[in-house]
Amino acid sequence: MVNVEEIRDYAASLLEKEEVKAVLGFRRGSASAFAEPCTITEVGEAASLVWDPTCLNNLALYLVKDRKQQAVAKTPDNRPVGIVAKGCDSRAVGVLLQENFFKREDVVVIGVSCEGTGVVDSNKLSDKLKGKTASRITFSGADDINVSVYGDETETVIPAQEILADRCLECRAATPTLHDVVFGDTVEARDFNEPFHAAKEAESASEDERWATWEHHFDRCLRCFACRAVCPMCYCHECVVDSTTFVVTLGTSAEEKANRIRWCERSANTSESAVYHLTRAIHLAGRCIDCGECERVCPVNIPLRLLNTKLEKEAFEMFEYQAGHDIEQASLLSSFRDEDPNSFIR
Amino acid sequence: MSNPSKTTEVQSFEPRIVAFLCKWCSSAGSDLAGVSRIQYSANATPITIPCSGSVSPMYILSAFNKGADGVLISGCHPGDCHYMEGNYLARRKLYLVKELLQFIGLESERFRMSWVSAAEGAKFAEVVDEFVEDLRVLGPQNRLKAKP
Repeated sequence: MVNVEEIRDYAASLLEKEEVKAVLGFRRGSASAFAEPCTITEVGEAASLVWDPTCLNNLALYLVKDRKQQAVAKTPDNRPVGIVAKGCDSRAVGVLLQENFFKREDVVVIGVSCEGTGVVDSNKLSDKLKGKTASRITFSGADDINVSVYGDETETVIPAQEILADRCLECRAATPTLHDVVFGDTVEARDFNEPFHAAKEAESASEDERWATWEHHFDRCLRCFACRAVCPMCYCHECVVDSTTFVVTLGTSAEEKANRIRWCERSANTSESAVYHLTRAIHLAGRCIDCGECERVCPVNIPLRLLNTKLEKEAFEMFEYQAGHDIEQASLLSSFRDEDPNSFIR
Repeated sequence: MSNPSKTTEVQSFEPRIVAFLCKWCSSAGSDLAGVSRIQYSANATPITIPCSGSVSPMYILSAFNKGADGVLISGCHPGDCHYMEGNYLARRKLYLVKELLQFIGLESERFRMSWVSAAEGAKFAEVVDEFVEDLRVLGPQNRLKAKP
């Protein structure tokens, strides 16, 4: 079991010794039992940090935001930032380091092991509670999660398998591999779904069924770009599928603006949304660390994670590549091996 | 023969192929097919690119979006890349694109890749002919095509 006091003490000591300018972590939120991300800059605030199965967010996103902010600040504050990181978050930091987005000394990774469980999926949880709202969700030893609801403070023990997020059920590294300090035990064998379970299941459908499913999903997409906004890997200033992000300066002529190639229109129709999601999946190939945030924030519940895990699976099976595993390795698409698949080419 | 109108419709369907050809090999290969007077289907629209490694997945998606029935990408044989490793990088990238397109349910025959050297005019003709035949069976591509 992770003792939350240890995380608080460590965060407080980092701030006290002024090794970091801030610590990114989780605190009790205002939305029922769920935790919310927070930035701690004072020693005294460290006591508000929490660690439970509702710490859903991938905090690496805020590292990216900070870096972007400092890049345009008049007096940039480039002191290191501490981050409370689950297994998946630490892989995200790993990919960002691999891509030289920031340097290793710019970040202090306070690793927290998810041990035998992970984070809950709010949809699965509300199904389980049949309309009641959870007031407290805690880890319960090995692979169960305690849930109590408003008005009834008795804790119900729910098997983790039933309410964990899909990605946690398929997680291969629940303990942060990249860390400065790690709390909690390293749990190797986890008795949930095999890796890439959901993607394999989706693959097994027939071609027409697969298209019918995805056409339905692409059709529902609102193009709100929430998936892009929440993704720590989507850090481009100019997004190729979103013409409103194209940089326009005082020197940009009307002609240049008019003639910029728009690979994909912003209109939310099936074909354009398909281009958007496929492009995003390809851009995340070998970079997606399966934090499942895109799927969580999607207002229309498109299973976006499937597209990314499909490519993650191919990268793992065909190219033996795991994103965020080794910050020294060459990225998936900038390297090759002689034995890469060739038989599909005539 | 029970439905003659349908038969003519299938026969009159001419697949449109967008072919991205490497300027150092396949593009010259298609030239060779032409100057050798090899008879082959005229369904492919060639687009010369500097290297198969320069193909962005967006080219492929964009072609399908604009109504291509098939996309062919052709580059130099492994080891023959003018830029040393472009085709190896292309192989990896386009393998992922192929897998992704199949995953969302686009017919797997619609995206094809081939290695054609500058001396293989006959092979180029063969690749295009084969592709056209397969696409005739599949019919028009409507899945990723933008609706008017």
